[in-house]
Amino acid sequence: MSATAHPTPVHSDSAAYKLGTTYPDVPYAEKERLFGEMKADERFADYLYGCYECGICVAACPSARYYDFSPRRIAQAAAREDVELIYQQMQEDIWDCSQCFSCLRCPRGNNPGGIITVMREVAVNNGLDSARQALRGYTRIIYKIMSTGTQVSPDMLQADAFPDWGPSVAKVSEKLDLWRRALPPDTHHTTTTGWEISTKTLVELYLIWHKTGALAMIEELDPSLHSLLEEVMEDLLDEEGYELD
Amino acid sequence: MSESVVVIGGGPAGIEAARGVADLGLPSILIEQRERLGGTPIFANYAALTPYFEDAEQAMDAMIAELNARPLAEVRTNTTVTGLSGEAGAFTVELSTGESLEAGAVIVATGFDHFDPGRERQIYNYYQYPDVLTLQDLEAQLKAHEVLVPSTGKPPERICWVQCVGSRDRNIGNEWCSKVCCGIASKQAIEVREMVPGCRAYIFYIDMRMYGYWETQLYWPAQEKHHVQYIKGIITEVLERGDRLVVRGEDTTMGRPLEVPMDMVILSVGMEPSAGTKSMAGVLGIEPNRYGFIEAAKPPLDTVSTSRTGVFACGAALGPADLEDTISSAGAAAGKAVALVRRGTLQTV
Repeated sequence: MSATAHPTPVHSDSAAYKLGTTYPDVPYAEKERLFGEMKADERFADYLYGCYECGICVAACPSARYYDFSPRRIAQAAAREDVELIYQQMQEDIWDCSQCFSCLRCPRGNNPGGIITVMREVAVNNGLDSARQALRGYTRIIYKIMSTGTQVSPDMLQADAFPDWGPSVAKVSEKLDLWRRALPPDTHHTTTTGWEISTKTLVELYLIWHKTGALAMIEELDPSLHSLLEEVMEDLLDEEGYELD
Repeated sequence: MSESVVVIGGGPAGIEAARGVADLGLPSILIEQRERLGGTPIFANYAALTPYFEDAEQAMDAMIAELNARPLAEVRTNTTVTGLSGEAGAFTVELSTGESLEAGAVIVATGFDHFDPGRERQIYNYYQYPDVLTLQDLEAQLKAHEVLVPSTGKPPERICWVQCVGSRDRNIGNEWCSKVCCGIASKQAIEVREMVPGCRAYIFYIDMRMYGYWETQLYWPAQEKHHVQYIKGIITEVLERGDRLVVRGEDTTMGRPLEVPMDMVILSVGMEPSAGTKSMAGVLGIEPNRYGFIEAAKPPLDTVSTSRTGVFACGAALGPADLEDTISSAGAAAGKAVALVRRGTLQTV
């Protein structure tokens, strides 16, 4: 029953593409299929009972103060099985949520933030444009975590990298290796990773991401990042005697 | 002086009041204008009672059988009351049969009528479109265990209820909330969803008034288990488009206008004072309220006394009431009537 007209399809890599303003429309059956994935999630029944539209979730929601975003509309659309609106929300609204779960104070026991968690996973697993766009900024972080096992590393402290970190950064960055070696634990005598990660750990992490579908998710969202990771990990897997199916 | 209590109206309130008087040890005479007892639940073809879903006919039959089992209770059907004279403790009640009865007290239980949606500004086209029905029209279908679109004879795929038809409306003069329609629409929506599982059900409302346990007896299960869709925003008109109805309104909480097809539209008609209630006020010389229901003279702690000492009222004659409140007030009226007659008798000793 959505009264919103869908914008014309624009390729996601186009310069005109901006999150929340335009996305490709898809056939109704595809929207139904995406909602079907939401409903099939085993958490869904615990996250949504029924909504009497009291608005307490919106009142509690920090994002609602800054964006045209309403956790109530998320719960309502899901309860009404309004697949048109749900698709629109998957392409727009769900990325405005900060997943703080203030909306858990719902007197009906709903969990709008949880519904959004499920919707985000469906959006990511299906490679929706909004998911690609929302996660684009995380490419470097994903690459670093998956290829090194840590996210923040000392060598990020560079003189010109983070001006807001203040003037001492330049000084520290000059003798990074020395500063690090002054730390008591041996495992912290590193500069390219946060701490020392063994090949065994790295491979185990990689296998977990493979088995849990995280790698498949990345393959769907960012194929070039995925092949880069595959390349980097190939030798390590070999070394540890693993072969991925 | 008379020890008898005359009860006017043979629906749930009157039956309970007559039964109560007899149980308290005084003779009761129940006057009913129709040919049999049972009142609106029987004559408006109620299927299942709100909120417990008991079979209406069975429940009323059981009530009537209990009344008939009491030697102190007497029933006169096909009879109306035409006049009242005397005073508390020593009334004379004139009947349409020409007979008159002596009574110590009188209890009015003349109930309500369903609002006639044809009396409204015809925005819902009740008399024009066969697939626009009232709550009691759908009750008759539910009683027959078959929900069908009148114009096609097929089960509906989309059905909606429009709340507050003939209630809370200054334009038509019915400013009161009829109390029960939210619950009855929800009850019916549950029944339709069970009988026609593929049918989508929508309830368009102003406020849902699901007081007390109706919240978890009706409202939450309707939403959570039966996926009845509640949309805040009242339908402004019902139109015909092709061979289907279209309802037009606003989805207020989503902030958008809506226009959606429906196979059946059920008007949740409210309660009005029945013809009997309106005429009894004049016949018995008791004050009605501004809406034509009998005015309770000493609320809130005495809900059944009227402006005339010795005349009590109960049930929906006093205003919109659900069955539980109806039965409770009938019991209160029986108690007060018996107490008054007994005190009167004592005073004469």
